[in-house]
Amino acid sequence: MNFNDFGIDSASLAGSLETRLAAAKRAGFTQIMISAADIVGHPQDTETAVQAIRNSGLRVTGLEALRDFEGLGGRMHEYKVDVAKSMLTLCDRIQSRLLMTEASSSTHADTDPEKIAKDLRKLAFLALPKGIRIAYKGLSWSRTAKDFIAAADIVGLADCPNLGLAIDVFDIIAAGVPVEDLDAIFTPRVFLVQLSDFMLQEVRSPEEEIMTAARFRVFPGEGAHSDILSKFVVKLEDNGYFGDYSFDVYNSDYLQMPPEEIALRARRAADWLGETVLRRTLPVPNMERLRLAGRH
Amino acid sequence: MEHHADHESIPELINPIGMDGIEFIEFTTSRPQALGEVLERMGFRPVARHRSREVELYRQGSMNIVINSQPADLPRTVSPVEHPIISAMAFRVRDAEAAFQRAKDLGCWDVPPRAQALELNIPGIHGVGESLIYFVDRYDEFSIFDIDFRTIPGVERHPPAINNLSFFGVVQYVGVERAEDWVEFYRQIFGFTRIPDNVRYGIMPRGVLLQSPCRSFFLQLIEPEGAAQFAAMEENLQRIGLGTPDVFGTAAELEKRGIEFLSTERVRTTERGALTTALLGGVMFELVHTSPDTQATKS
Repeated sequence: MNFNDFGIDSASLAGSLETRLAAAKRAGFTQIMISAADIVGHPQDTETAVQAIRNSGLRVTGLEALRDFEGLGGRMHEYKVDVAKSMLTLCDRIQSRLLMTEASSSTHADTDPEKIAKDLRKLAFLALPKGIRIAYKGLSWSRTAKDFIAAADIVGLADCPNLGLAIDVFDIIAAGVPVEDLDAIFTPRVFLVQLSDFMLQEVRSPEEEIMTAARFRVFPGEGAHSDILSKFVVKLEDNGYFGDYSFDVYNSDYLQMPPEEIALRARRAADWLGETVLRRTLPVPNMERLRLAGRH
Repeated sequence: MEHHADHESIPELINPIGMDGIEFIEFTTSRPQALGEVLERMGFRPVARHRSREVELYRQGSMNIVINSQPADLPRTVSPVEHPIISAMAFRVRDAEAAFQRAKDLGCWDVPPRAQALELNIPGIHGVGESLIYFVDRYDEFSIFDIDFRTIPGVERHPPAINNLSFFGVVQYVGVERAEDWVEFYRQIFGFTRIPDNVRYGIMPRGVLLQSPCRSFFLQLIEPEGAAQFAAMEENLQRIGLGTPDVFGTAAELEKRGIEFLSTERVRTTERGALTTALLGGVMFELVHTSPDTQATKS
């Protein structure tokens, strides 16, 4: 069984950064998604957090999340450029090669696609010398890109090689997006896929979606939409997706349970996906290289 | 959203900042004399010293090379260590300040002005690894070197070049699958264009070749191959290419001066080019045959 394609999200786990890193590692994961707050909120200092991550032996899937970056003007734009530079520097320090950027929900954001694309292109250029890729993620409550199709349009307009998409399968399930919609996007531009499910049969209002997204997610295989989730993953693979999968399970109950236990639930999700859905082969030498090559 | 646009045909990018060649290339090292000695064997002559910093100017024909041994005073720049590192390229442009502002607006990281390598306020941005790219617009009658540098007494200020040697380009090592990122960087900021893969100069043809909008300078981007693909990403300016209309004659002249060229089954001197052995822990120069159509022999 090859776990290397799946990563846990540190925000799924309770405890100190060190405890969460150890729990992820013990459960067999080789990569972890890190939140900026994990680092800058470390009780000692940022450098201690950076060293803990680098010494963990885990690869960083990506750093999350730069928010409300695009569409701003004047001094607000300058301010956000400074924030972005700070996050990119942090990203580089933890040797993360990806910064996740969520589509803006700022009421001050201009929604002109040309302006949004120009700003995201600038962000990609800020990231470029450090070898960092920007994964832009649509959000249903965003003003600039409400879903992955809208995000893909903007990424296409910006047209920069280190700018791509993050797709959160939770959003797809919640919004009832048909699986065929994945055919509308250029798969090599998908830099990250986040996987989680939820218990409710359906999400009835935007408020309920926001609440569910922030607090009631569960791991793939645990929720009410395993069938849809697996169809999406299979479709992504069929379309040539070779990148990472990250379990972005934000669940307030899980934050009151031992992180070791939650990491094992994540592992079961990876088992279920790997064996039941993807049937990925055992890793072979040069696998990483083949996967990289597959991105083009 | 596929990447099919024919970027090269976009007229406004033909030469967006009025690029006009290379004003200087900078090495940083804690052993400037050792590198100076290598440069002299390559035909360069020391012509001036900086008024207040540990920076020396070497010159040959149209080429300026600066050796910087001043301790680094800002993050993400090269600190002088024993083995010399190519730490900056200075591009000649129409309006340095305008080019700098434009680069910043497009998302480049600026170098804080207080820490500029030279006295004049030369605007610069961060390039690959820890290297910098400067924009210089004073290079005609009155250059930056006339202001910041003191000429070494009794030396020829404009020593002629051996066999019309001139800057041909710089080889940049990039990470796995990073060439496209850097192509986009040099295209957007400076107007470099990609040379078709079947057009190559010299004897080291790998990678992606970019030509400056003034058509006088090339950048060659090389991704790692073999086991190096699995090593940690290391990106830097690796070596300088020198153009010459007569590779054999130039190589022979340089050999007389104590420079050795590689002579292996894969890499050896031909009429197309030559590669020196590594000196001082990694400094190499490549000779590249140039004819008027490559326009690399610009004075």
